[in-house]
Amino acid sequence: MEYAIEAQYLSKTYGEGRTRVEVLKDVSLAVRPGELFAIMGPSGSGKTTLLTILGLVTEPTHGRVILDEENIYNGRRPDLQCLRREKLGFIFQLANLIPFLTARENILLPLELIGITGKEARSRATELLKYLEVADRADHHPEQLSGGEKQRVAIARALANEPKVILADEPTASLDTERGLSVMRLLRKLSNEKRTAILVVTHDTRMITEVDQVIHLQDGRIVDTG
Amino acid sequence: MNLAFKDIRYNRLKFFGSTLGVGLLLMVMLTIGGIIRGIILDSATIIEETGANLWVVEKGTLGPFVEISRIPQDYYHAIQALEGVAEASPLVMAWEHITRPMIPTPLMKFMYMNTVLGTKTMVEPGWLDMPMDQRFVVIGYKPGHIGGPPIIISGRGIEASRYEIVADVKTGLHVGERLRLGNFDYTVVGLTRNMVGFNADPVIYASLNDAQDILFQRDPDLLRNERVRVESRVLGAATGAPRLAAPLSERARSLAENVRFLNAVAVKLQPGASPGEVADAITRWKHLEVYSAARQVNLQLMGSNRLILLQLSVFRLILLVISGVIIGFIIYTLTLDKIKEIAVLKLLGMQNWRIYRMILEQALLMGVLGTLIGALLEFAMEPYFPRRVEATWGDVVQMLAAIIIVATLASLLAIRRAMKVDARMVLGT
Repeated sequence: MEYAIEAQYLSKTYGEGRTRVEVLKDVSLAVRPGELFAIMGPSGSGKTTLLTILGLVTEPTHGRVILDEENIYNGRRPDLQCLRREKLGFIFQLANLIPFLTARENILLPLELIGITGKEARSRATELLKYLEVADRADHHPEQLSGGEKQRVAIARALANEPKVILADEPTASLDTERGLSVMRLLRKLSNEKRTAILVVTHDTRMITEVDQVIHLQDGRIVDTG
Repeated sequence: MNLAFKDIRYNRLKFFGSTLGVGLLLMVMLTIGGIIRGIILDSATIIEETGANLWVVEKGTLGPFVEISRIPQDYYHAIQALEGVAEASPLVMAWEHITRPMIPTPLMKFMYMNTVLGTKTMVEPGWLDMPMDQRFVVIGYKPGHIGGPPIIISGRGIEASRYEIVADVKTGLHVGERLRLGNFDYTVVGLTRNMVGFNADPVIYASLNDAQDILFQRDPDLLRNERVRVESRVLGAATGAPRLAAPLSERARSLAENVRFLNAVAVKLQPGASPGEVADAITRWKHLEVYSAARQVNLQLMGSNRLILLQLSVFRLILLVISGVIIGFIIYTLTLDKIKEIAVLKLLGMQNWRIYRMILEQALLMGVLGTLIGALLEFAMEPYFPRRVEATWGDVVQMLAAIIIVATLASLLAIRRAMKVDARMVLGT
């Protein structure tokens, strides 16, 4: 089976000479569609750098990123914004919904970015809101939503463009254990039902019970897999 | 989905509050433009409303609106007789004043309070109790000729040969009111509007003879003194010929007491007559100075009003720069407030041009709305200014064009900041 996303021998170095810092060293991973994948590690271990490389906002110093069977940095300048809006979805620690848009509009936005508008977009947004059980909050602004509701709307936004891969950056960090586990179970369910590869960066060991694969990073290297 | 409007709708208090501030600033700019136009119109009003093609004044002078010009009264007959002249109207015009009790306006009271509170920047304490000297321009003309009031908004025009006047409404006089001007009492028989001198003093129209009496006739006591002085001088000179003493004395007295002279002759040309040729004829044969109506207006603008117009124009320019800086800072601050959202939008793959369009649209909307608010406030405020303020929709369109440029430039600063936003900032936080 093909992978939704692959990282091969990724390295990332900042600075030169004495100020040279190697934050990622030969990191490789591969995630299949429908798989829930966790990246764990302490602060400064390179989790976020790995996430930004996989999220196509940072170019690796060495190595390859293969997204949906496309080698991204293949000696040419790829349209990263286009790839992000078509093939990736993002979930953040603090939801990061656009505050001046309603829950529904936050979901409509990525759809509009890929050219889906009108009835089709509204229908898909309503479907996602129902799926994530926040349909009654559709016309509320983020400030009127609870933490859990915000995170559900953020997940719906990440799913809107039907991405190949969803990158979730500490999605449970701002929630209590019960709500955190609920979000992880939801991600589990989504990856199974929507056949979307989901990579979760977390430092919360309680959450790994739900994931299919996990890697532990330390000082920019993978030190453990499971 | 228009993000700019969504953001404005959500942050409407902040946006419209800032826009109102911009609008107030632009109102001041439009008002200054209106004041400048008011000065220009005030300078041109009398000249334009007279309807004369040429203004004939004393040789070597710039005319009655700028400096003293005196020409003999009978000269207008000679001008009237020249070829190409349809009408030559004798005019006198000069400033006169009356003393009236002060009727303080709320603004005056505020200025007075300011003084009482100790700043003493505007007026001295007790100012409100002082009588007010009200100045106006008296224009004397021959009824039925050009140079009289162009419109009568109340009452009637001058019909009697003496002691009737028509006043501009800004004098505060009413139809039927009597007032003493010079040595005689006059009755206000009509009111006109927007007739002011170049420094906004309202106009009072009188018949030529009345105006000459009001403006040139001396105080009776002074006149008696002058008469005695002239008589003694003439009698001294005529000791060798006593029979000539009486007629010489009378002649000298009449010369000294003569008030029958003009300040200008307004000339209306026949259709097809050449203004240049008529002016040349008057200059050559009558030894007078002739100005076109446009030149006469220009003499006032570039003479008496030049510095104040320059001063206001410079101030207006400074305000434009200040408005630009303030709009720039507001847009920049509004953009800084959205840095995180911009990072999220970039991460979601939104095209840069859409982000920049959002900033530009908000800047332009603020500029356009601010201009409209400023214009509406300015138009609403105009009647309450003591001097003529006349902004036009043409000014508003000009302002709009300037503000669109300013807002675009201002948003470039914010767009530059947005360009620097790193999408990574929302990851790992």
